[in-house]
Amino acid sequence: MDIETEHTDSGRRRFLKGLAAAGAAALPVSTGAAAPERKKQYGMLLDTRRCVGCQACAVSCRSENDVPLGHERSWVEQIDKGSYPNTTVKFLPRLCNQCSEPQCVSVCPTGATYKREQDGIVVVDNDICIGCKYCIQACPYDARFLNPKTGVADKCDFCADRLAQGRQPACIQTCFFRARIFGDLNDPDSEIARLIATNPVTVLRAEMGTMPNVFYIAAEHMGEADARHYDQHIRVTTYRSTRERR
Amino acid sequence: MHELNWGLPVVAYLFLAGLGAGALTVSASVLLRGGPTSTHFDVARYGALIAPIPVALGCGLLVFELGSFQVGHWFRWLNLYKVINLSPMSVGTWLLTFFIGVSALYGYTFLSRDAAPGDKYDGLRRKIAWLGVPLGIGVAVYTGVLLGAMPARPFWNSPILAMLFLLSAISTGVAAILLTHAIMHRKNEDAEVERRYRESGYLLTASDTLLIGLELGTIFLFLMYAHLTIGNVKAAVSVILSGGALASLFWFWVVLLGLVIPALIELYLIVPRLIYYREFVVHRSFEIVVPAAVLVGGFMLRYVVVIAGQITHPVGL
Repeated sequence: MDIETEHTDSGRRRFLKGLAAAGAAALPVSTGAAAPERKKQYGMLLDTRRCVGCQACAVSCRSENDVPLGHERSWVEQIDKGSYPNTTVKFLPRLCNQCSEPQCVSVCPTGATYKREQDGIVVVDNDICIGCKYCIQACPYDARFLNPKTGVADKCDFCADRLAQGRQPACIQTCFFRARIFGDLNDPDSEIARLIATNPVTVLRAEMGTMPNVFYIAAEHMGEADARHYDQHIRVTTYRSTRERR
Repeated sequence: MHELNWGLPVVAYLFLAGLGAGALTVSASVLLRGGPTSTHFDVARYGALIAPIPVALGCGLLVFELGSFQVGHWFRWLNLYKVINLSPMSVGTWLLTFFIGVSALYGYTFLSRDAAPGDKYDGLRRKIAWLGVPLGIGVAVYTGVLLGAMPARPFWNSPILAMLFLLSAISTGVAAILLTHAIMHRKNEDAEVERRYRESGYLLTASDTLLIGLELGTIFLFLMYAHLTIGNVKAAVSVILSGGALASLFWFWVVLLGLVIPALIELYLIVPRLIYYREFVVHRSFEIVVPAAVLVGGFMLRYVVVIAGQITHPVGL
């Protein structure tokens, strides 16, 4: 069973898993050439326990993708929480979640943004996009922006051009603390799949139903709105030049 | 700061498209309802002549606002016509295109100063009117669906928003016709012409009162259901409730100036005719000011909704 379904963790899926296992046990299994080709789904795991908020990933992303000033494909938020002496500072690296049910794709009127068949990355075709900004409105993660140079929607695409050369995304290569793990979620032997299988993970805004493929270990999900209910200090610094958290 | 990706051009477009769609719907309905010697032919004529202009203008504004257009890809927006998918914007593009074509043709049949029931375009006019009613309603509803399709925007993500926009569209369409009707009117010696003028004025004013009443009811439901939820939607709608950043804009410009005051004046005007069958007489200043207030309110409704949707967001992460 693919690892992508981990985050739903529903009883029905476990039941199906059990059925599949039973079926596999009952039938003579032929391995090798006849094995069905597994669909690739690139994903990222952000181990926030390892993140120190150095912003090196955000900088390397900016230079790799020539991101115009005032916009970010990838950024690291800082969440300060609590009152002295009980306080924490946590960092939350943010990027496009490469969702399995991407809202940006379903609202795109031209088909310029789509989920790639070969690796599940959500990409924007710069030659088709008209810059209507509908996808920017629809993204629950505020991961998109209108690139003022090209006039079209722009976002993290896991450095698709680097992947095509067999290299890792820029942020992965830069992250000194190995807080970012990248790989194929559907390959059970990949590091990311193993880590997700053996750690409690969460995704951002799971209630939006977007089925994100970016997972977090020990993420701080609290925001400034929560301070009202818990009567304690919470401050979110997005380190984005023009945007607050949305 | 929250980024306003959709600004005034989109606000103006939503208002203008609604106005044009409403005008066509009203014009076509009045035409189809009226017999061979329709009293309200002038209403149908003004509505038909108005309809395509604001919609085309609004679409022009939309193209102007596109990111690709602003960096110099002047014709990139034609990509919209290369696909049909279930994106509300794609559906809307095709709807609007048909709307502009159909309403322009419809307007053309009324273009002649001598246009009258039973002239050479009469058959064509009626055939197009049958198409015009659903098309007008479709465009008006679509402007609400466009905003409502996104869970990431809790303020907009309400099924009743499209209904509100539809009612507002028809109401502003009626107001635009009423305004044109009043401005174009010259005192006439012929008592029959004067009678028709007053009857049409009554029909439009009475319809507008009803529409505004429904609109107020829809706003009430929108606010109530949003406020009764917990979480995202409640947090989002608080922006137009007491203490919210857009509260005064909404309650003064949209509700009071755009709906309550015009509705009360209109009610005051139609009651003598409605209950006592007296003649419907309106002072010239009311004829102008009331529909103008409805139009301002319609614009401000779009303004408040478009801004409110973009400065609010789901709570929590």
